[in-house]
Order: sequence, then structure tokens, then C-alpha cells
Amino acid sequence: MNKKKWLATPYIIWMAAFIIIPLILVVYYGVTTDSGSFTLENVKNIANHDNMKALLLSLKLSLISTVICLVLAYPLAMILSKMQMNSHSFIVLIFILPMWMNFLLRTLAWQTLLEKNGVINTLLGYLGIPGIDIINTPSAIILGMVYNFLPFMVLPIYNTLIKLDLNVINAARDLGANSTQTFTKIIFPLSLPGVVSGITMVFVPALTTFVISDILGGGKILLIGNIIEQDFRSSRWNVGSGLSLVLMVFILLSMAILAKYDKDSEGTNIW
Amino acid sequence: MVKKITQKLYIALMFIFLYAPIAVLIVLSFNKSKSRAKWGGFTLQWYKELFANQQIMNALYTTLVLALVSALVATIIGTAASIAMNSMRRSPRTIMMGITNIPMLNADIVTGISLMLIFVAINYTLGFTSVLIAHITFNIPYVILSVMPKLKQTNKSTYEAALDLGASHMYAFRTVILPDIFPGIMSGFLLAFTMSLDDFIITHFTKGPGVNTLSTKIYTEVRKGIKPEMYALSTLLFVSVLTLLILINRTPSEEKINKRLKKKAVQKESNSKFRIFKPAIILIVIAALIVGSFAGMKTTSGKNTLNVYNWGEYIDPEVITMFEKETGIDVVYDEFEMNEEMYSKVETGAVKYDVVCPSDYTIQRMIEADLLAELNYDNIPNIKYIGKDYLQSAEAFDPGNKYAIPYCWGTVGILYNKTMVDEPIDSWSAIFDEKYKNNILMINSVRDAMGIALKYLGYSLNSTDRDELEEATNLLKEQKPLVQSYVVDQVRDKMIGNNAAIGIIYSGEAIYTRRENPDLEYVVPKEGSNIWIDGWVIPKNSENKENAEKFINFLCRPDIALLNFDYITYSTPNTAARDLIEDEDIRNSTIAFPDSATISNCETFKYLGDAMTAYYDDKWREVLSQ
Repeated sequence: MNKKKWLATPYIIWMAAFIIIPLILVVYYGVTTDSGSFTLENVKNIANHDNMKALLLSLKLSLISTVICLVLAYPLAMILSKMQMNSHSFIVLIFILPMWMNFLLRTLAWQTLLEKNGVINTLLGYLGIPGIDIINTPSAIILGMVYNFLPFMVLPIYNTLIKLDLNVINAARDLGANSTQTFTKIIFPLSLPGVVSGITMVFVPALTTFVISDILGGGKILLIGNIIEQDFRSSRWNVGSGLSLVLMVFILLSMAILAKYDKDSEGTNIW
Repeated sequence: MVKKITQKLYIALMFIFLYAPIAVLIVLSFNKSKSRAKWGGFTLQWYKELFANQQIMNALYTTLVLALVSALVATIIGTAASIAMNSMRRSPRTIMMGITNIPMLNADIVTGISLMLIFVAINYTLGFTSVLIAHITFNIPYVILSVMPKLKQTNKSTYEAALDLGASHMYAFRTVILPDIFPGIMSGFLLAFTMSLDDFIITHFTKGPGVNTLSTKIYTEVRKGIKPEMYALSTLLFVSVLTLLILINRTPSEEKINKRLKKKAVQKESNSKFRIFKPAIILIVIAALIVGSFAGMKTTSGKNTLNVYNWGEYIDPEVITMFEKETGIDVVYDEFEMNEEMYSKVETGAVKYDVVCPSDYTIQRMIEADLLAELNYDNIPNIKYIGKDYLQSAEAFDPGNKYAIPYCWGTVGILYNKTMVDEPIDSWSAIFDEKYKNNILMINSVRDAMGIALKYLGYSLNSTDRDELEEATNLLKEQKPLVQSYVVDQVRDKMIGNNAAIGIIYSGEAIYTRRENPDLEYVVPKEGSNIWIDGWVIPKNSENKENAEKFINFLCRPDIALLNFDYITYSTPNTAARDLIEDEDIRNSTIAFPDSATISNCETFKYLGDAMTAYYDDKWREVLSQ
């Protein structure tokens, strides 16, 4: 089948032109000044008190969201994978269906739900339960992240779970393992590739978002994404690129971890 | 049994979580009130108005065409690449998969920015094509990641057997490989379509003037309050996809029968999956076509166009339609939310606008940076309707009125809810008062926020004195625990919905909010405030300068200015138009037209230079990140 290699040509050209070269350009802007001379100031900017704080907060919130997503998604994926579904695509569609309602509108709807006089508090008020007050706090941002990125955790885990060889599980049972043992020794380790890709698919967008913190954080909480966006908005491209370079380090790390678990480079695990 | 119930309960809870916001949006689409915070009764009005709304229909058309074309191209490139990669040796394949993962794992913001940088670097004008290229780029990986696993599962021997039996490569591929990987290609296509549909960040950075997808349209509306038509449209989109999903799942029995009847279960299965996705594609294609023929009517034809760049919700759409009808010029209309954002777009020159509407200090900045063209007053005779006082105050930032024609003006003040405060408010001290903790909406804009603090401290809001600025920064930092949220235009909805007692607002918005909620009161604090003027200017790189002047002249016509005033409720400098206002309360409203004592107590922003602007930015960031 070697003759087929030329089929990759358009793809290689495309990727070079619109992924590799643009990234090189970001690196270039990141290490130069306005006038084009070399500097490391832009990257060093991350050590600046406010930027560091935003980065650490972003890391904290995205880690918490990732953990919550995992805890919520794993049981869900397990239950779904055991259900007799007519088609696998049905499950996938259920999770991508919300995306047909615009992402911004969905996040905005959470504002309506969580607001002081919002839907949830009004409902709780009818029931005589004291309302919740999390809008404009980090908790609301975490909720927004979990909400928006949960499908990216459920789907990869679900996909590995449905591909598990039932014989292996049955063998474990036959050999006397109880259900906890089967889970910790067999099912979970085998589903690890799905878990890992789920984690990266949630962690990276959560780390870099600026829209969710904007809408649900009430502008009181600056994440690293907000800072980069502001830099580009006020034409400080070099500083913004420098900070993007720092973000890329985390992304490269995620890719390295992903590659480690995805040894065959099949890409099976993402969807 | 208990386990089953817990499982069902858990799934139910997760679905409530996933679909609750969607339910909210659907309910809002039937809300009579324009405000998100208030239920005004049931109506189907928005569904009717939706189809008459050219802007939304155009955005829908762009979104669908973009999603369809980008998904199609990505599917072709991606499938070809997968087939090639599958036959590669390990190491080149790993490298290519690594590159494939970049756009998926890279932050959207970095992908968007890097693509914008490349387009600017090669001097490629941002427009529909640049967005399309960007979408194809981030869509290809989804296709590859859907097709690759299916390719792995195919049996190489079958393909080779076909070749041995005399099939050509093409024939063997079509009959042996393709049916096996087809479900993968289809789900890749659908995924790509959905991702393109839902993308905001990358589109935001790569789009040109007049190119709006639903996402970018919504983003400009977020600050001004989403138009209810948008909820109606989303509901329609959602319901049609949901219906499709249900229809697809109504056919399992057929699938089972097929399986039982034919022994070749494997091939049949892929065929039935093929059938599942077929309607999806048909629907998408039809939807795109219908909308295309419907909204796509309005295409810009070559030379006689005008690129307008204005604040969000800052003109009556009717005015644009009238202008187009009268002059035969096609208007390409684009919106911005902040002066700084507009400035960087005009400065890069990636987009060539013909007429832009910045505020006072930004006009000054653009003049200083030599970005503006001088106006030819022979083409703008209607300037005579603009009040002399306003032209005079405009000289503060535009000496000799060479570059700008005032469009709207107003003050910045406090909007408060009479039922939620103890006494009438007349001073900035209220927003620094402990007793309104968590009930204050502060303005999320550098110059406005710093300006308020400086004014309260008794300094000029154009201060460049670092000690004064430090003091103002500290004051704002102390204020932060009292603030409920930092907003710009969202203050409207929040105040209407009684979500806060005090907000900072532009005078033009005050008229609208008081109409919706009579408990609200607007005041310009006694310490003085900012008085601002927004004006129309023509960038130097404009390619349709005469059309731009025609447009400005048109807007200065009293009847047009009046129409505009009724719609946007911002004070007009057009004295002839003011005399035409029928409602006496509004004509003499002190909010819309404050008395001279209030005006002389206010200051106009001046551009303070790049270094000082950066200093202000840093100080404001210090406050927000505290």
C-alpha cells in the first residue's frame, strides 16, 4: 500500500502552512520587541506578580475541574457502556447535541440560572431553602468549565470501555476476583488511555479559557487566558505571544503524556 | 435493583445538568420581555421577527456554509491523510499524529492568534476565506481521529485478496476499504461540522469585516443583551437536530431484521450506519441551501460598497437599509466592543474600513498616529444641523474639526435602584460604601474605572501623576470586595432584573433601563464625571472615501438622527433632530440632555500616550487580579 503515501501530501502542506509556520510566528513575536530585536522580557513577564497569580489560579481551577469531570464522567461512562444501545453514535450524539446551542449562549444561560435573583434561587425560594451564592466566584467558573468540557471526558472513556474485551473481565471473575478487584485490577487500568486523553481534553481548554471566566466570574477573576486576550486586544502582541509561549509548555507536556499512553499512535482514544 | 435505580437516577441528574441551560434558552425564546432577567409573558413574536432579521439570517448563512465547506474539505484531506498514514512506517506516523494533535490540544486562543499573525504577516486581508482556512485547520484532526481507528480495524488481507483477484486499486478501495471506514468518515464529518458550528475564539481572531458567524454575533451581543431572536434561532436549530436524532433511533428494528436476514452481518452493519448518517447530511445540506437562498440574497457586489465599523447596537438597522435604498451603496456592517480593540484592527491594516465610530480620546490617538483622512466638508453639508457647542467641545480632541463629526454624546454616572438604597445618591462615595457590599456593579473598562476613582479623589481623570494614580489604584483595590461584578453593558440586564442596587452606566443606557424598570434612577455625581463624544472618522486606508462621506452626511440628516435616537437612546448632538422629538419628557430629559452646570463639571478623556496607556492597563490589571 506504499503508493498511497502521496495522499498525505495535501495534508502535510496544509499543516505546514497553517499550523507549523503560525506557531513559529508566535515564537518569533514572543522573543522580540516591538522594533524586532531579540528579548526574553515577554516570556519573563509571566513572573510578574499579576500574571503569575493568574497562571496559578488558572492551573488550580482547571485541575479542580478536571478532577470533578473525571469523578462525574467515569461512572457515567460505565453505566452508558453497559446499556444496550441501538447504536454507539446515539450516545456520542447526545453529548455533542448541546453544542448545537451556541457555547456562549449556554454559558450565559448559567448566568441566568445562578444569578442572585436567578432561576435556581427563585426555585429554592419557593421551597423555602436558602439560595446559593456562587455567581462571580471561582466556584461558578469551575461549574462552567465542568459543564462545557464534561463531554470531552465522557466520550473517550466511554469509547475505551465499550472496546474492552469481555473475555478478560470474565476470566478475572472466573479466577475469583470480586467486583472491586475486577474494577481496580482490570477495568480501570485497561481504560487508562481513555482517561488520559479525557484529562488532556478537559485540562487544556480549561487552562486557557477566557470566555467562561468573563461570563461567570463577573470580571472579578482574571485567568491567564483573559490576560493574553487583553494583551492582544490592546495591540501588545509581543507580550501576548510571550505569555502564549509559556502556555504552550503546558500543552507540550500534555502531548507528551498523551503520547506515552497512546503508544500505537492510533488516536483511538479521543473519540 | 437498588443499583439499577441509583444508576438511572445518576444518569437523569447528569442529563439535567447538561440540558438545564438549554431549557433556559428555550424558555427565553418565548419571553415577551427583551431583558434576560425578566419574564414578561409568553410570545411567539421572536420567531416571526427572526426571519425578518437580515443580520441574524446572514450570520446563520455564513455559519452553515462555513461549517459545511470546512467539514467537507477537512473530511477529504483528513481521510486521504489517514489512508496514507496508515501505510506509513511507525516513526513518520508518530510525528504526523503529533502534529495532528497540536490544534486539538493547543489553546484555541493560541491557534486563533497564530493564524491571525500569519494572515497579517503575508498581508492577506481578513475575510470569509481566512475564517474558512482556520476552520479547516482545526477540523482536519477530528476527521483523522475518527477515521484512523476504523482503518486499523480493516483487514489488510481482504484488500490484498481483492487486488489478487484482479481488482484495480481504486476499485478495491471503493468496494473493500471504503464501506468499512465509512462510519468513521461520517462521524468525523459530523464532528467537524459541529465543532465549526460551535467555535467562537478562533473565528473571533481570524474574521474580517462584515463576516459574522452566530458565535461572533452573539459575542458582540453579550454585552448589550442578547437579542431574543437569537434564542429563537438556537431553539429551532436544537429542535431540528433533536428530531433528527429521534428519527434515526426509530429504525433499530429494521437494522435487526437486516442482520437476521443476511448472514453478512459485518457489511450490513456498516451499511445501516451509512443509512443513519445519510439523513443527517441531507438535512444539513438542505438547511444550508434553504437559508442560503433566503438570506444569501444580500451579497456585496464589487465596487459600490461601504465598510462600516461601529459599536455594538449603536445604529438603527432601519437607517442602514434606508441608506442603501437611497444611494445604492452596499453597506458591510461590523461591530466592536472597545475602542482599543477597534484601534488595533485599524492599525494593523488587515481590514480596510471606510468609516469608524471611536470615542474622543481614541480619535485623538488615531489622529496622532496618522491613521485618519481629513474630511471633505463639501460632501457633508448636513453638518449645519450639528450643534455649535458640540463641535466646539470636539475641538478638544480634534482641533479644527478636521477629522471627526460628533455622532452621540453623554455622561457616565450612577444608576441606582430607589427601593434598594436608603437615601438618594449624589456622590461617587456610594460605590465605595461598605453598606452596599455585593450590590455594586463596577464598570469594567480601564479609563472609566480609573477616571471615576480619580474624580472621587478630586483629581483630573486625565491624570498622569503616578502618585495620584497609585492612590486611585489603591482605592479601587479596597473597593473590590464590595463589588458584585465588573461589567460593561451587562449592567443593563442586571439592574433591570433587580440583581444589584448600584451600577455605573452610560447616560444613553439609563433611558432604556428606566423604561424597563421604573425603580431605577440616574445621577451624575457631584464630584463630576466623564463627558464623552463618539464621532465618525474615515481611516486613511479607506477605499471608498466618498461613500463614507455620503454615509456621514446621511446620518446628520435630522429625520435620520431622530430615528437613530429613538432606537439607541443615546443623546444626539444634532440640535435639529432634538427639536423634532415629540415626547416632551425626553426632549427635556436631564439624562439625555444634562444642564450646562452638570456639563461644565465634567471632563473629556484625552489620549495620554502609549507609555501612559500601558501604565493604566497595568494598574487596572493589578486591581482585577487582586
